[in-house]
Amino acid sequence: MTTEPAARSRHRQPLLEVLGLTKHFGEVKANTDVSMEVWPGEVHALVGENGAGKSTLLKMIYGVYHPDRGQLMVDGKEAPIGSPADARRYGIGMVFQDLRLVPAFTVAENVALAMPEGMTLKLGRLADEITAASEKFGLAVNPAAKVGHLSIGERQRVEILKVLMTGARLVILDEPTSVLAPSEVEALFRVVDHLRGQGFGVVIVTHKLDEVRTIADRATVLRGGRTVMENVVPSDYTNAQLIEAMVGRSVSDLERGPSVALVESGPAALELLGVDCVGDKGNLALKGISVTIRPGELVGIAGVAGSGQRELCEVALGLRKPQRGTVQIDGHDVRTPADAMEAGAASIPEDPVADSVVTRLNVVEHMVLNGRPFPSRRLGIDWRTARRRTDEENDRLGLRIAAWNRRVSDLSGGNIQRVVLTRELAIASTLVVAAYPSRGLDIANVRRTQEILLERRDQGAGVLMVSEDLDELMSVADRILVMHDGHISGEIDSADFDRQKIGELMIGGAA
Amino acid sequence: MTAITGDLKLPKERGKAQAWAIQALPVVVRWVAALGGALLIFSILLMIKGTNPIDAYSDMWSSTFQRSASVEEIFTRMTPLVLAALAVAVPARAGLTNVGGEGQIIMGGVAACGAYLFLGDAMAPAVLLVAMIAASVVVGALWAGLAAVLRLAAGVNEAISTLLLNFIALDVLLFLIYQPWRESRTGQPATQELTDLAKLPVVAGTAVNVGIVVAVVLVVAVQVLLTRTRWGFRVSVAGGNAEAARRSGLKVAFLVLSALMIGGALAGLAGMIQFSGVEYKLRPSFGHQLGYIAFLACWLARHKPFPILLASFVFAALSVGGDSLQLDSGVPAASIYVLTALILIAVLGFTTPRKKTS
Amino acid sequence: MSLIVDVLSGGVRGGTSIMYAGLGETVSERSGVINLGTEGSMLVGALGAYAVGVETGNPWIGVLAGAAAGGLLALLHAYLVVRRGASQFASGLTLLFLALGLTSLFGASYVGQPVVGFDKWDVPLLSDIPFVGPIFFQQDPLLYLSYFMVPLVWFVLFKTRVGLLIRTAGERSDSLTVHGYSVRTWRMIAVTVGGCLAGIGGAHLSTAYANAWFENMVAGRGFIAVALVIFAVWSPFRVMGGAYLFGTAIALGPALQARGYEINQFLLDAVPFVLTLVVLTVLGKKTLSSSPAELKRVFENAPPAT
Repeated sequence: MTTEPAARSRHRQPLLEVLGLTKHFGEVKANTDVSMEVWPGEVHALVGENGAGKSTLLKMIYGVYHPDRGQLMVDGKEAPIGSPADARRYGIGMVFQDLRLVPAFTVAENVALAMPEGMTLKLGRLADEITAASEKFGLAVNPAAKVGHLSIGERQRVEILKVLMTGARLVILDEPTSVLAPSEVEALFRVVDHLRGQGFGVVIVTHKLDEVRTIADRATVLRGGRTVMENVVPSDYTNAQLIEAMVGRSVSDLERGPSVALVESGPAALELLGVDCVGDKGNLALKGISVTIRPGELVGIAGVAGSGQRELCEVALGLRKPQRGTVQIDGHDVRTPADAMEAGAASIPEDPVADSVVTRLNVVEHMVLNGRPFPSRRLGIDWRTARRRTDEENDRLGLRIAAWNRRVSDLSGGNIQRVVLTRELAIASTLVVAAYPSRGLDIANVRRTQEILLERRDQGAGVLMVSEDLDELMSVADRILVMHDGHISGEIDSADFDRQKIGELMIGGAA
Repeated sequence: MTAITGDLKLPKERGKAQAWAIQALPVVVRWVAALGGALLIFSILLMIKGTNPIDAYSDMWSSTFQRSASVEEIFTRMTPLVLAALAVAVPARAGLTNVGGEGQIIMGGVAACGAYLFLGDAMAPAVLLVAMIAASVVVGALWAGLAAVLRLAAGVNEAISTLLLNFIALDVLLFLIYQPWRESRTGQPATQELTDLAKLPVVAGTAVNVGIVVAVVLVVAVQVLLTRTRWGFRVSVAGGNAEAARRSGLKVAFLVLSALMIGGALAGLAGMIQFSGVEYKLRPSFGHQLGYIAFLACWLARHKPFPILLASFVFAALSVGGDSLQLDSGVPAASIYVLTALILIAVLGFTTPRKKTS
Repeated sequence: MSLIVDVLSGGVRGGTSIMYAGLGETVSERSGVINLGTEGSMLVGALGAYAVGVETGNPWIGVLAGAAAGGLLALLHAYLVVRRGASQFASGLTLLFLALGLTSLFGASYVGQPVVGFDKWDVPLLSDIPFVGPIFFQQDPLLYLSYFMVPLVWFVLFKTRVGLLIRTAGERSDSLTVHGYSVRTWRMIAVTVGGCLAGIGGAHLSTAYANAWFENMVAGRGFIAVALVIFAVWSPFRVMGGAYLFGTAIALGPALQARGYEINQFLLDAVPFVLTLVVLTVLGKKTLSSSPAELKRVFENAPPAT
């Protein structure tokens, strides 16, 4: 889908030029001498690992931060952008990863928020304008719908429409595809293509190379706050070269042998039979689901967000009670989190900051929360033993977690994830339920995490892994179960892994 | 406070001591400035009212601290405050906001009075006191437990429910005083006064009831409970992140219920002490605002048991000083609330170095 | 007049001060700030209106003074919470005590002093309607004003840009900042307006309802208003209904006693509170989920022990 930047020849000035931007926060050199350019009618990928400096760069382009050095130019003229309002005036529109939409408001109210006109809200007229704009830009949107009821893909469309309606000529999409299914990603790329055709500039921030190849005309790679590759055409480089640019060294493919420890007989690591389960919104999230995971196998769960993966993990861990059906870990019935832990379950939650981090407590205080009895002394806890155990577990896993007395809530997302992983994976378990375990980690730690999960598998644990990254699933799983609308729509063995097939199953097609 | 975090261990080397002092200095200055500001504003208000603030303050000081009767009064008033503040601190550990100290104190007092009226003077004083204590503790715990149950079962926020229960408790009190337990048909409605046998004994040589000893003991006990027991740790986890606690297999419902009930029990005990050691009868103004002052004292002390002692002392001293304001300077006693509030505003708003964005 | 009309008329009258405060607190909570000091705003509003009414002889100027007093107190709350990061509960209660103290200090000289308050004024034609007339249209002018306040607050909150900004502050503050507005500013505005309305409520209490001033005369109405807002699910019209309901419960006792029915005064006094608890329990988790999202975080956050 890439086109040569033919548009470039028609225009004399790039839409946006970033020249030598530098931003340091004390010791932290977030961006150093970063440069890139985006032309009208061009889709430009901004590539880099987490922590490479992409978000700082975006914030400077959008006026949230002021650069220490360097400048921005729009249409060939200096553009001092001191605030988001300035950025908008220059025609720069930003679609944040967390979509700054208010769920409780309608689409029209959200758009009204972005358009500073008048004392009273003329929502009727605005709705008409929205409908007209949505046709013009090819973004189907219902002005009266409450945003909270829309899917993520739909919300993204609203946000893009909002940005276009306020006059943006350059649209920046910050990691738009991490929560989308393959089909929704395709829909998004169609929109991006449409915008490209109409002469808009699009910057898409991502760390997924296949997307870069699919949609981007040019790419800029950031690593450690610097531009390692500027304005290059992706098809000129191999994956290995691009990865090396992102990571700084070559990362070998994950060695994954077939499972050595698969145990055919005896109790299953996890067994769900005919489970019906109600989700948070009162709907049936799991519909008669049956899943069996043998000790010694790693089962991947693929699916569009909201297909029931979260509820599946929660039911498995005793966090949610099924309306029908049974749940067993290692042959023991599971009805509460305590049951699950006693049966030997370990859990890596989807959102560790929300679900695992306890305010005010430090690392070792978190480490004792692994479901095992506290090391005790008289009425209290034997902290010295706890610290010793923490050190041992840290050594065993090699993820190098922060010092024992650091407050976990002060740590970065990646560091928090490492603490959780160490806690959950350092001891042998019968079942590991890992929800999006690589989120927020840089590539080296992602690799290590995958290795650890495979080690657990080889030591006889059953591993349930939910991930949005099909490549990840295909590289570690023994088999993949695809979920759709609360059912298992298909099961694929590792020998038969195929992206297309999985993608179809994710949207409900037959296996 | 970001300047000094965590437990403060006594520095061993002199260099460390100096570094500590340098860190502490701006904090001290900030506090002095904030409190000074509060006094200044109060002085201005007094002047508007035609009272000389210097005279008022010196009268307050001498009346309060230079008369042993007043000093004893401070300790007497301090006791229920300490207990009621602990009643806020324990649930706070579990992430709960207990504004219901007022109602729990009242119900504790009511329970103690009920025990007295029911059991009468027939029992030995020690047994009677124990019965009154037991009644007040249990009723206080149940009154708070009601809010906990509503939260667990129906998601009703305890800040609102304990607040509402305060008013319901007040109506219960008034009902009892005006009708079934009314002592005399004429004059101010109240229950009968306790006989000496049912009054709390006093600390030898003073007029201060032994409640103060109980309060201090409980401060230590609560400190140990919160920081050195497994229950206390579990409650901290539940209060810091209930979802994380749940995922670790902790029984959050039990922790929430027990924390709030312990709070209610402490406040109920405060009510018993107020009844049996201070007021000796139930009047419509029983426990007058103690619960809210204690809530604020707990905040002042940042929910820590030992600082609660200090904060309660300060508020009790202010309260006694307020009486002096009325007697010596002719200013209504409730005006002392202005100074109390100004001090709280000074501390709440102006002693933390960082400014939070909303 | 029949008993029912008597009671309902008293209910509307007694509920008006609660309604004003409830409308104000709705605005404040819609922006994400709960103000337990509403009781204090009503108190200073009551004294302010009374005192100025006594001094000037004009109750309307008194209302302005009451609104200003209530607003100033709430502004202090807004400042402490929004700009200094203080706990919303602690700040609100502190300001309540400030109000108690200030009104005690400055109000002593007004106890017992007569004031030119708001006299009843029958609305021509409307007051003759059977049943409805005596209840709604034989009241005082400040009460009639409140009839307009409800749709006004509704209109501002839901149909104007100002209301949109206030509600955004309460639903998702980062959505507000991303569009270049200051969350702090709009919260402070909302809270202050809330205090002004509460002050007017207090003014009604002292210059229309009771026609007197005495210490602590608000007697929990401010807290009722805070609870009312929650069970009215932050909707101005439901606040109106709820306020009249509570006013009726409070008015029921005296009305019955005046007719010689022996009724337990305190039981009835407790009704608004019990009713609120019951409704909150019944609505249960649904209430929590329809609250302004930022306010939810206030309720769910642990009191920090630093």
